[in-house]
Amino acid sequence: MMKVEKTEEIGEREARLFYEFCVASINAEVAAYLESCVRCGLCAEACLFYMGENISGKIDPTLTPAYKADLLREIYKENFTLWGRIKKTLGMGVKIDEKELKEQVKLAFYTCTMCDRCTKVCPMGIDTPRLVGIVRGALTSVGMAPKDLVDATNTALEKGSPLGVDVTTFLQRIEFISEEWEVEIPVDQKAEWLYIPSSIELMKFPSSVAAAAKVFHHAGINWTVSTVAHEATNFGLFLQDREVSKELLRRVLRGAKELEVKTIIAPECGHAYQSMRFVAPNLFPSEWDLKVLNIVEFIYLMLEEGRLHIKKKVVDRITLHDSCQIGRRGGVLKEPRYILKLLAENFVDSVDMPEKNICCGGGGGVVVVRDADYHRQKAFLTKAELFDKTGVKNVACYCANCMLALNKSAQEFNRDYKFISIVELVADALEGGES
Amino acid sequence: MTDILLYDLIRGHLLKLSVYAFFIGIAYRFFRVLFLGLPPDYAPPKGKPILKAIEKVLLKPSQAWRFFLEVFAHRGIQYVGGFLFHLGFLGLTFFVPQHAFLWGDILGFEPPYLPQVVADILAYSALGSLFALTVHRIFNPVLRLLTGKDEYLANFLIGLVLFSGLLATRWAGGAYYLWMLNVHMLSACVLILYIPFSRLSHFVYYFMSVFFYGRNVGKRGVSF
Ligand code: SF4
Ligand code: SF4
Repeated sequence: MMKVEKTEEIGEREARLFYEFCVASINAEVAAYLESCVRCGLCAEACLFYMGENISGKIDPTLTPAYKADLLREIYKENFTLWGRIKKTLGMGVKIDEKELKEQVKLAFYTCTMCDRCTKVCPMGIDTPRLVGIVRGALTSVGMAPKDLVDATNTALEKGSPLGVDVTTFLQRIEFISEEWEVEIPVDQKAEWLYIPSSIELMKFPSSVAAAAKVFHHAGINWTVSTVAHEATNFGLFLQDREVSKELLRRVLRGAKELEVKTIIAPECGHAYQSMRFVAPNLFPSEWDLKVLNIVEFIYLMLEEGRLHIKKKVVDRITLHDSCQIGRRGGVLKEPRYILKLLAENFVDSVDMPEKNICCGGGGGVVVVRDADYHRQKAFLTKAELFDKTGVKNVACYCANCMLALNKSAQEFNRDYKFISIVELVADALEGGES
Repeated sequence: MTDILLYDLIRGHLLKLSVYAFFIGIAYRFFRVLFLGLPPDYAPPKGKPILKAIEKVLLKPSQAWRFFLEVFAHRGIQYVGGFLFHLGFLGLTFFVPQHAFLWGDILGFEPPYLPQVVADILAYSALGSLFALTVHRIFNPVLRLLTGKDEYLANFLIGLVLFSGLLATRWAGGAYYLWMLNVHMLSACVLILYIPFSRLSHFVYYFMSVFFYGRNVGKRGVSF
């Protein structure tokens, strides 16, 4: 059984493996990003972790996105540039010790959700999440990824889900949801569409799974859930561990193939969409011929085709929190806005351009890591400031992980926002009322 | 006499040498990165990657201004100073009357140049912006962390080129003129030589980095 290792002993071997991982990850795109940084620091003003500290009246320059890639940059230089090689030969090269590696854990795992906002402000278009991803992968490869993430990943590898939802539990939850919300959920049927919920929804927000099922019935599609592909989340992405990602996606692929599925409907889960839509085709280049839609994209499509009809407004005033991996990094930005305008009397966007929305603070697995709580909370202040500007308490979300993080932080700060799944709102709006 | 000898040396050999070294160095840096290659991407794009890449190469710096309202309060100096500096420095390099002969030598024809008064304004604003940007770099905690010797050396060299150029054209009378010109040309030679070895070569990587960025924007189907 595949397993992610966690080590407490950090020595020369770890430093060497970390270094080698970084060197092996360099390609033209990565090198261009590493070379082009002009050290202007503008990216700091876009990063929710840095901004959150600012709101508290503190400046922590180490939270600047450019700084999060600095060790990687040094490693790159001394392997690929003339001057860097000379310095290395003269014994003035990069020295990596335990303290440095621990600092990298903080930078890459605690204070970056890989949300991609800094990329937008950077005049050179530097994709910092891509660079942070390499550092994360390197730390994982030497057993230094945060324990909470490693444990959850190993549970996913062993039982099929990071929350320990095995097939038996999955079936029990599906049965419970069917009965509680009186909705039929087909299991392991040959179908055109495969809906894969995330275990966060299944265990913590079951009403959104019921809502999804209602939406599918209204749209009249031929759909199913699968006991093989029963988990949409992929912690391999958080750890940037290619083999783990592949193993978890293999289950999805197998489940979809067995049921002769054409299109996967990814749930309200950011990295689940990211992994199936953008990562899987590269991990299974010759096998992955599946179309992947996020459930919000699916609803938009069905509305466009006239297969879904919103019958009533279900909320008065509402704003929107975008999931970074589905939105800014996934291209689903106009769809939730279009849907919310149909659902709400008054939809108030918190940003003038969708790509500018701010992460929940818990993305990239940060919500799972207890040692990152302080930073998540600070980051939430940035998010709360944005909500407060709209003066709206109702916040629509399309990622259960975001909802989890936002609820947690809001509780910690005693804020009374109400986070609501878009799919649930749609399910409500499809029933009764005027067309 | 020494000033004339020095002038001949710089104008004759040193300038040519530094320009050749510049082109070789820049080409080396560009191709070294390009030849690292890219893994294939089999994920079907949501938008038009290549069109977006071209659009971003043309527009990215202006699009960073979309964050103007949020960022301006903290980084006004960088937004305004950065813009004025680039405008001034590039304008001066390519379009001042005094440089026309140089481009004439290199290109074989003299490109159009700006009226002297515009060139003067550009020079003052570039020099002022450079000074403000350097002070900002020293005092802003984020910039202090990100800044190395490279940035200070580059700013010093650029400042010297701008200042000596300004002195030569505006203030240095009589015997000092040639000396000022020599300082200007010598510092320009050093700057040209230094570019491929420093972060000043960011203008080459701009095209690559922003191209990749735009391609990703196109793959994901977002607008920027
Ligand atoms: S990706 Fe997001 S969290 Fe990470 S450095 Fe950039 S803005 Fe900050
Ligand atoms: S905004 Fe871009 S160029 Fe400027 S410091 Fe950040 S990563 Fe570097």
